[in-house]
Parts: sequence; C-alpha cells; structure tokens
Amino acid sequence: MKVQIEKVFAMPASAELSWQFLQDIAAVAACMPGAKITERLDDTHYKGAVSVKVGPATMSFRGDIEVRELDAATRTLRLIGKGSDTTGTSGASIDLTARVEAAEGGASNLVGKSEASVSGKAAAFGGRMMNSVADQILKQFAANFAARVELLKASQAGAAPVASPPPAQHELNGLALFWSILKDWLSGVFSKKHG
Amino acid sequence: MGNSAETLEREEKLQGIGTSRLRKEDARFIRGQGTYVDDIKLPGMLFGAMVRSPYAHANIKSINKAKALAVPGVVAVLVADDLKPVNLAWMPTVGGDVQAVLADKKVCFQMQEVAMVIASDRYAAADGAAAVEVEYEELPAIVDPHKSMAADAPIIRPDIADKTEVGHGPRTHPNHIFTWEAGDKAATDAVFAKAEVTVREEILNPRVHPCPLETCGCVASFNKPTGELTVHVTSQIPHLFRTVLAMLSGIAESKIRVIGGDVGGGFGNKVPIYPGYVVAVVASIVTGVPIKWIESRIENISTTGFARDYHGIGELAATRDGRITGLRFTALADHGAFNSHVSATKLPAGLFSICTGSYDIPTAYCRVDAVYTNKAPGGVAYRCSLRVTEAVYLIERMIDVLAQKLNIDKAEIRRRNFVKKEQFPYTTAFGWTLDSGNYHPALEKALKAVDYEGLRREQAEKRAKGELMGIGVCTFTEIVGAGPTKVCDILGIGLFDSCEIRVHPTGSVIARLGTMSTGQGHATTYAQIIATELGLPSEDIQIEEGDTDKAPYGAGTWGSRSTPVSGAATARCARKIMEKAKKIAAHLLEVGEGDLEWEVDRFKVKGNPSQVKTMKEVCMASHTSNIPAGMEQGLNAVDYYDPPNLTFPFGAYVCVVDIDRYTGEVKVRRFYALDDCGTRINPMIIEGQIHGGLTEAFAVAMGQQIPFDESGNHLGNSLMDYFLPTSVETPKWETDFTVTPSPHHPLGAKGVAESPHVGGIPCFSNAVVDAFAHLGVTHMDMPYTSFRVWQQCKALGISTRT
Repeated sequence: MKVQIEKVFAMPASAELSWQFLQDIAAVAACMPGAKITERLDDTHYKGAVSVKVGPATMSFRGDIEVRELDAATRTLRLIGKGSDTTGTSGASIDLTARVEAAEGGASNLVGKSEASVSGKAAAFGGRMMNSVADQILKQFAANFAARVELLKASQAGAAPVASPPPAQHELNGLALFWSILKDWLSGVFSKKHG
Repeated sequence: MGNSAETLEREEKLQGIGTSRLRKEDARFIRGQGTYVDDIKLPGMLFGAMVRSPYAHANIKSINKAKALAVPGVVAVLVADDLKPVNLAWMPTVGGDVQAVLADKKVCFQMQEVAMVIASDRYAAADGAAAVEVEYEELPAIVDPHKSMAADAPIIRPDIADKTEVGHGPRTHPNHIFTWEAGDKAATDAVFAKAEVTVREEILNPRVHPCPLETCGCVASFNKPTGELTVHVTSQIPHLFRTVLAMLSGIAESKIRVIGGDVGGGFGNKVPIYPGYVVAVVASIVTGVPIKWIESRIENISTTGFARDYHGIGELAATRDGRITGLRFTALADHGAFNSHVSATKLPAGLFSICTGSYDIPTAYCRVDAVYTNKAPGGVAYRCSLRVTEAVYLIERMIDVLAQKLNIDKAEIRRRNFVKKEQFPYTTAFGWTLDSGNYHPALEKALKAVDYEGLRREQAEKRAKGELMGIGVCTFTEIVGAGPTKVCDILGIGLFDSCEIRVHPTGSVIARLGTMSTGQGHATTYAQIIATELGLPSEDIQIEEGDTDKAPYGAGTWGSRSTPVSGAATARCARKIMEKAKKIAAHLLEVGEGDLEWEVDRFKVKGNPSQVKTMKEVCMASHTSNIPAGMEQGLNAVDYYDPPNLTFPFGAYVCVVDIDRYTGEVKVRRFYALDDCGTRINPMIIEGQIHGGLTEAFAVAMGQQIPFDESGNHLGNSLMDYFLPTSVETPKWETDFTVTPSPHHPLGAKGVAESPHVGGIPCFSNAVVDAFAHLGVTHMDMPYTSFRVWQQCKALGISTRT
C-alpha cells in the first residue's frame, strides 16, 4: 500500500532559519506527532520510533533513518525511513524530500514530497485511510515545525525565551486524528458540492 | 406380505432411508455442549502463538528471541533453526511440494509463520509473540500470477529453484509449478478452425475463502514415558493426518492418535496440514506437556486453505443453430507461495476436466498452468471437489455467451446440447463416464416452476422501460465421491473409505467410519442407512468418526464423498451382516435360506407368515450357542469400499434479479434450485445442505473476494471487510428435486452438499449478466457488489437520470 504526498507549508521565519532547523534531525523528528529519535548512530544514521494509538490499539513503529542528502545550496533534505511495528505485524517505509524555499516578506515555505508505504496489519486495516491519516500527520507536523521555527527566531532575536513549551511528546492521538480526518472529509464533500 | 399398515408403522419406527429424521447431533449443538478443539483443556497445557511476517516477500536477516523470553509466562520461542535438528523445518504438502513449517531464511507471503511462542496462557503467548524481534529485508513481491513467469520475475522459492519438477511434471520457470492438459488439442484446434461460430471470454474466479465458523487449531499431547502422541485437531481427514504426522515425525503410526471431535465447518479449509499443527507437535515433544494452538479469525482468512484464484479463458465452437462442436478452456492458477493444493498424483488440476458439463460436446481440450505468487498457500477449499466450481463456472457462463452470440434463448441452447437420457452412461470427451442423468425433465420442471416464459415477457417489458432485470439459468453436472483408487489418491493413498459395524446382543449398533463430520449430520444419516439395511431402529445406532484409534481407515470428508463412498461402505457392511443374520434366522426357523423373505425388520418363512424371527431376536441368538455349526458368534463386519466410478449429481437452477441502474444494487427476487442427487437418504438434511451451499454461492457471487495491494498486502482478512452473509442479506431459497439413482452405488445415492455451491455461483452470474445482455454485455467478473455493478451501468451510460 503506497501513498504519495506533496505539500507546501508556510513557515513564519526566513528561509535561512527554517533551513537551520531542518538540519536538526532529532528536533525535526520530534515535530512528527508521536515520533522521536531514539539513537544517533552517526551524522547520517539514526534510530527512531513512532507510535500511533487508535482506540485500544497502539502501533509502535521503530526503525532506521538514513539521511541521504543534505544540500545547503538548495536547502534540501532527503531521508529514508524504514521500520516495522514492535509486534512485527506491520511494516512501514518512507522516502521524504523536504526543501526550504524563500517566500515573500521574509517568510519561507517548507516543500515536502514523500512516498510512504505500509504493509501488514497497518495496510490491511488502515490502507483505505492512509491518505487522510498521512495528511493529518503532516499538518500536525507542519504546525509543530512552524512553532519550533518561531521559537528559534525569537531566541535568535535575543528576545526573552517564549514560555511556550516544545511540542508535547505524546502518542499520535487516534481519536483526535479521526476527528480531524472526518472534519476534512466533510469539508471536502461540501466544498465539492458547492464548488 | 403381511398387514401393510402394520408393516408401514414398523418401517416408520426404524427412521431409515427416505425419512426426514431430525439431526441427532443438534441436541448438543443447540445447548452449547459440542466439544470443539478449543474446548479441550488438558492438565499442564501450554499455549502457542504465532509470529507472522508483515511482508509478502522478504529475507529474514535476524530473529531475536531475548525480549520474548523475558516476558513473564513465556516458556520457549521456536524458530526454523529449532526445528531443523528434528528435521521438521520443512514439511511435504498434499500437493507434492514442500512448505516451510517456520520461515527458513525468507518469507514468501504475508502472515507467513516465522516463530511460535509457547507460554503458560494465551495472553502471555500473545505478549511474547509481540516481543519477538525479526529483522526483514523486503523483496519485490509477485501478486499478479500473469507476471509470475516473466523472465525477470523475482524467484519466490529458491529452495526448489533448481528442481525440474515439484510433483507434477516438468517446470519451465522457477515460479512455475505445473502445466497439465487433457483432451485432444489438435482435433479441437481443427474443430475451431472450421467452426461456423466461435466465442471466447476471459473469466475470473477470484480468490475467496470459505471462512468456517470455527477457525483451525489443535492440542498436541506427547506422552514422554509411553512415546504416544495424541492430537486433537480440526481436521476433515483424521486418518490421512495421522499418516502424514507419522511420516513427518518418525513416530510409529500406531503410537499416534488423532481425534477430530466436533468440527465447526470444514469446506475444504480443514484438509491441509498447517504449520501450526506441526510446531505444536514439536513443542509438545520438546516440553513433554500438551500444547494448544488456535488460530484467530484473521490468521484463518489470511493463511489457511483459500479457494479459486483461477484466471480462465473459455472458448466454444458451435454450429449456427447452437450445437456445440468443440470446447477449449485454459486457466492460469495462482497457487500462492507453496503448492499445498490437495491433488491426486495423476490430477494436479483436480477434476477440472469435468468442464464439458451436462452437454454432449464431441471434441474438447483443456489446459491449466499453475504458478507461484507471494500469497498464502492452501486449498483447494470451499465446498468444491478440486476445481469443479471453476470448471462448471466456465461452461455455464460460456454456454450463455454462445446463446447471446447466436441470439438463442438460454434455456433452449441447453436443451439442444444436453446429454440425452438414452446416452447414459455417457463418456465425455475428457474420458469421464457420467453414471446417470436425466437433464431434460429437470430443466423443464424448473422452467415451469418459475414460469420462465412469463419471466422473459416481463423482462422484455422492463427492458423497454429501461429497467434492468436478469434471469439466470444454470444446468450443471457435478462430479463427487472421490474416488476410484486407480485415479484418485492423496500422497499415494487411495481414496477408498470404510465402515465397521458391531451389532450388540440386544440389537443396538455402533458403527465407525473413516469419514469425518464437520456439520453434515453423519450421526443421523449413516444410522438411517443401517436402520433400513438391518431393520434395527436408527435411534439405537451410534455413529462414531474421527478418532483414529477407534475408526477404520478412510480418507475423510470433503468433495461430497461421504455418502458416495462411506455411505456405500456402510450399506455393503450392513449387507455382510445381513447375510450372516439370514443364515442364523434359517437355522433358528429350521428352514433353508431360500425359504426366507425379509420384511422391514424380520425374516419370515415364505407361505407361513406366523414363522418369524425379528432382527433383534437374531442379534441375541448370534451371541449364543444356537447358531449354525462352525459359525463364529456375533454380528460384526467391516467394509472397505473402492468406488468403481465417481457419482455425477446434477441440477437445474433459475435465479431472477432486479438491478437498480442508478445505485448498482442487485436484488435477488427469486432463486429456484432443483437438485438430483439420486436416492435421498434424509430429505431434510439434503435441503439444509442445499440452503448452506446456495448461501455460500450467494456469498461468493455477491461479495467475497480476497484482495491484495501491489506489495502483496492482504486487504480483506477480517470480518470488517470479508463478506459473510447473514439471514438479513440471504435470499429465500426454493428447493425441488428429481431422483435419478446412481447405477453403481449400492443405494443409488450421489453426493449433494457441493452441488448448490457449484451450480449456484454461475446461476447468479448468469442472472446478473443477463440483466445487461440486451446492452451487449457478455460477461462481468464476480463479486457483484453494488459498486462494481454501478461501474458497469456507468460504462454503459445508464447510471444517471436524464
């Protein structure tokens, strides 16, 4: 079960700043809901974990992340992630390319392109919802990313550290996720009708 | 004869052949007192849980047991390397191949067995299984069988890559299993070349699963001091199971006891030997305590005996007036990653060559190519004796395609091609000898029952209004009761079957058979046969099957073979007893055997009706000294029956559907099923079997399919996705019958349980396609979900209101 996603998210900071943050793999991973880097093997190899909770079931994926490309000239990061859930019943992999582009007014855009595939239970049960789930995860990721970049901007501007906490390190909440998928789907249905 | 009313009353009391005797086994089932394998609880029993592959195709780089072994309650974790010292990492399959018991270095289908965790209870076993760390290296998977034999296709089975054959003739590619053909290719090609008309259609029987109520499982118990192994198992073939276990384990077959118990539905799903059984046996031998392993529903649907996955091409040649002159059917069979399809050594594609159906087709050729893919192995399951469903589906669809091409009515084209009554026994172009049949009256009875002409008139009116109504006709011939040992075997063992009868002094009976009831009502019907044959009440006749220590050897219950084979053995066995009983009766009445006549339950002296010995009296006498000189005491016998031929039940079905062209919803308005299974032993049970088979036919035609994505991920292995019809969806069934006895069966009986499934599926298809026939549609693949049918409407431009 494969899904390809291309998204552009506006960032409230300069391209330089966004790029600076993008290179901090552990920090970027932490922006992914439920994800974290558990071990840094070397500059380009990490071990990570993601957990998703849907109702009573928790799926914890763990795997290897490899940074394939980190190009300052084009502000491009490409990484490959591959793992399986801890019960061994599902597998997942992702090939992600993220690029920072300068935007008007000193802001920037985070341009993401990814191909994700899942296998096993995750595909059997979650396959039909994968696009929506991936969309939601990316949205939450972008929001967290933006918050962290803003924090970085504030601290570099010398301002007093903002009291806002870093993104909470909790599991990706299935119910909230489901709700936002439903909301998006509904708005999609209605916008099509009226469009 | 004596007083006929009195005789009839005595006959009625026996509850023998022809009576709708209530099912004896239901008393315990409806009270929840059946004993299924999961009800077996033995002292000290441990539980096994399977670790399965999330990938359809991957190398196993490492397996780490440490965390699993640390889970409280976990006793052991078994992987392929642990099975190698006992030579059980691989096992032979019933298809002539070998299969990994636990994945050895690589996995070839999703959910393949990788390790078994043994623990003190089910929860600990499941927790332990979740803690086994397996590192995989994913490989490209083959999902589409058409791509299996491509030059650059990934090799699924490196273990046999060098083998030039795997049980069934030469292989031409590492992913090739066998190519099998029958009939006369050259003659058939010649008929097609000069035919007045030909038709061709690609027809898919998608991968489905019978999904029995009870999943598979076993309790294996090895007694170290005695060296005896007892296995309680959900098997349709306990005796063959024991033989295979003996071959695998090296334990003497006499020290292995396989017990079937109650089995909650088989449908072919419980014929193969699954890895879970073998690992449970090994674990019990290693630990010395009983091991229970029970599948979950998802495991059952994903990994055990599926059905079909036949990608067929049907071709018929005919004259302009619709007389079929030639048949050419080919099929690409997707067998999954291991060939564990049950197949006779000589018949790798089973009974596919029954595909000439009920028709007198002079020239025919068929060919089946079987290939490996990265899907689960298993089969051949689902109320079908070895590819008969696929064969009948092809011919029953193709004759409709031909009718449409020639603009001949679909009932009429069948009349023109039927094998005629006087042609029986009829030998088909493929060499099968149809034992008996009377097709024309059956079809006419069916057409009359539904007012076929009236339905066609109604259809014409509806078509004129733009409404969709379809009438499906199906006149199938089945082939059941495997089988003559000269043709049919499993792992070389002939498919005979057996019955042993012991008559007690008081006239009650215990009979043991080599078959295995999985819900067919054997305890009821076999007793009826003995009751009629011996004149003893069926109520006092106990039937026992499935315990290999008690029952005589037999090939089990599948392919509607119980009545054709064991039913015959039962009758023959009873007749052996009858012969002896007659000698005793003659001795007691001091007359010659020729002076006796039999009446329901007693011997009478001809011309002297007061001189009588009832069977019960003879039973007692047989245990005394008052028997003919030199005769042994008792009334016991055993019979092993090797049928001279299979039996060929048939039927005429009509289905009427109404289709909503805006939503694609198919409503089954009417389904009439006339079955002819020869002599009817218990009409009520036959009707129940037909209801069950039709419901499963409805399930297959209307909703069941096991889909995979391009990486081999199973996309429908739970009851969230997999369609199991309930009484809400299931149509009402109208059943009817004719009786054309089998000439070679001692009772004239044929099998029946498969017929409604085999005949029902094409009948639904024919009805759905018929609804679109006037729009030029000749075929639509199953299942006919609303979405699919709506897509057809959309393609025809009739799905929107104008």
